[in-house]
Amino acid sequence: MDPQPEPVTYICGDCGMENTLKPGDVIQCRECGYRILYKKRTRRKIDQCSAASL
Amino acid sequence: MDTELNLLVYPQKPLLMTRTIELVGYDKLGAGQNATVAVMSFSGYDMGDAIVMNKASLERGFGRCTVMRSFSTKLQSYEYGIQEKTVRPCSEGSDTKRMQLDMDGLPAPGEIIKPGDIVINKQTPKDTWNAFGNRGVEYKDTPVTFNGLGGEPSVVDKVARFSDFGGICGIKYLMRQTRQPEVGDQFSSRHGQKGVCGAIIQQEDFPFSERGICPDLIINPHAFPSGMTVGSMIELLGAKARVSVGGSPYNGSAFEESSGGADKVEEICKELVKKKFSYSGKEFLYSGITGSCLQAYVFMGPIYYQTLRHMVMDKMHSSYQSKPHQLTRQPTYRSDQDGVRVGENERNCLTAHGASMVIFERLMLSSDVTTIEVCGVCGSLGYYNRRSGKKICSSCQKETDISTQKVPYACKLLIQELQSMNISMKLKLAEEEINDDLLNHVAVNEF
Repeated sequence: MDPQPEPVTYICGDCGMENTLKPGDVIQCRECGYRILYKKRTRRKIDQCSAASL
Repeated sequence: MDTELNLLVYPQKPLLMTRTIELVGYDKLGAGQNATVAVMSFSGYDMGDAIVMNKASLERGFGRCTVMRSFSTKLQSYEYGIQEKTVRPCSEGSDTKRMQLDMDGLPAPGEIIKPGDIVINKQTPKDTWNAFGNRGVEYKDTPVTFNGLGGEPSVVDKVARFSDFGGICGIKYLMRQTRQPEVGDQFSSRHGQKGVCGAIIQQEDFPFSERGICPDLIINPHAFPSGMTVGSMIELLGAKARVSVGGSPYNGSAFEESSGGADKVEEICKELVKKKFSYSGKEFLYSGITGSCLQAYVFMGPIYYQTLRHMVMDKMHSSYQSKPHQLTRQPTYRSDQDGVRVGENERNCLTAHGASMVIFERLMLSSDVTTIEVCGVCGSLGYYNRRSGKKICSSCQKETDISTQKVPYACKLLIQELQSMNISMKLKLAEEEINDDLLNHVAVNEF
C-alpha cells in the first residue's frame, strides 16, 4: 500500500479561497460552495532543456 | 475556458482609423501590428497572394502569437458509487518520465508537457458490478496522454476540477504555446487581403530605402486587381502620413471624403510631400542582394496586419498507410482521420497533364475498386451465389446474361442509395470497341 498521498491545494473559482483536497473529496469550495476549483501554479523547477524547445 | 484562443504577443494600435472602427472600439482590441509593406515582386515565392516576410522582423516579434487550447476529461461514475479516479504518478517504471504530475494525478500550471506525455493519471474500475462499493474494486490504468498542439511541447496554463450536482467530476486543462510565424502561416490586412507566408528571407537580402527603411513584408502587386482592395492602398498612404506627421490618425472611412467625414487622399499626399516623401507613396529602393537600385519606384508604407489562426503547425500531416472510410471505402483525409488523398484539385492537375491512366489508377485501383454483377437483360445489380456458384440478377430472379464489372465502391453505393429511395439506376452494357489507332496510343484497361 502506498503511503498516504499528500493533499493538493486548489483555488476557488469564485471567492479565491484556498482549498486542500484529498482523493475522494467532493470538489466544492469549503467557503462558498462553488464547484469549480483551479490548481495553483507549479513550484517545480523548470527543466532548461525542455524550456528551450518552446 | 475557451476551447481555442489566439493572442498576439506584441499588439499595436492601427495607424489609420475609420468611423466604424472607432465606434466598435477595434483599435482597443489590439488585433494586429503595423507592418511596413512593400508592394513589389520578390523571389518568386510571392505567387498567388503569398507574402514574403522579413526574418529579422519575425525574430523581433512580428506576428508572434500565443495559442491556447482547452481539453476536458470526465471521470465516469458507475453504480454503487464506483468512479474513475485520478491517482498519484508512479515513482518508478517506464511511465515515470512521461508524468510531470502532482499527487492528484494532474499537472500544475507552468509545467511543460511534451507530446506523448501523460496529462491525467486516470484509473478505471475493472469490475463495475461490485456491490461492496469502492472498497473491493480493482482498478486498471487508463492514462490520458497529450498529443500536443501541432505535435510540439506546450505549457499547462490552467487546470480546473469541477463537479456537477450529480456528482460527476470533470477536469479541464488549458495548454499554451507561443509561436513565431513560419512558412505557410496565414496573414491578412484589414481589407481581407489575406495570404500565406511564402518565404522568410534574411533582412540583409531585403530591399531598403535611402532612409534605411526596410519592409517587414512584401506583397505582390497582382493581389490588388484580383482583390479589388483600393482601401488597402489608401490605408498605406494614410498610415505613412500618420507615421511621418504624427498627431491623431487620419480618417479613412469609405465614401466620406466629399462630406468631410474622411481625409482625402489628395490631402494625405500633400502631407507626405511636406515630409519629403514622394507624393504617390512610392519609394526609391535598393536591392539588398546586389546593392544596386531597383528599376522601379516601389509603393511602400505601413499596413495594419493580422495573424490569422490557420497555422501549418496544426494542419501539417502525413501518413503512409491508413484505413479507408467505412461507408465509401475511399481514402480518408486529415479531418476524418489520417491519410492523404488525391482530391479534386490533384485530379484536375492530372487531367491538365493528360495523365488519364494515373487518374484511373489513383481513383480506382488504389482507391475503392469493387466487383459488381450486372444483369445484361435489365441492367440492375445482381449477385453471386457462392453455394450454387450461380450469378443471379436480383431483379429478374433468374440466371440471365450477367457480367462482372469493376466500379468504384462509391458508385455501387450510389446505385444502392438511389434504390433505397425508389429510384432504379440501370447500367447499359456494351461490347468494348477496340480501335486499332487507340490501341497504339493508350494502354488498354487490363481487367
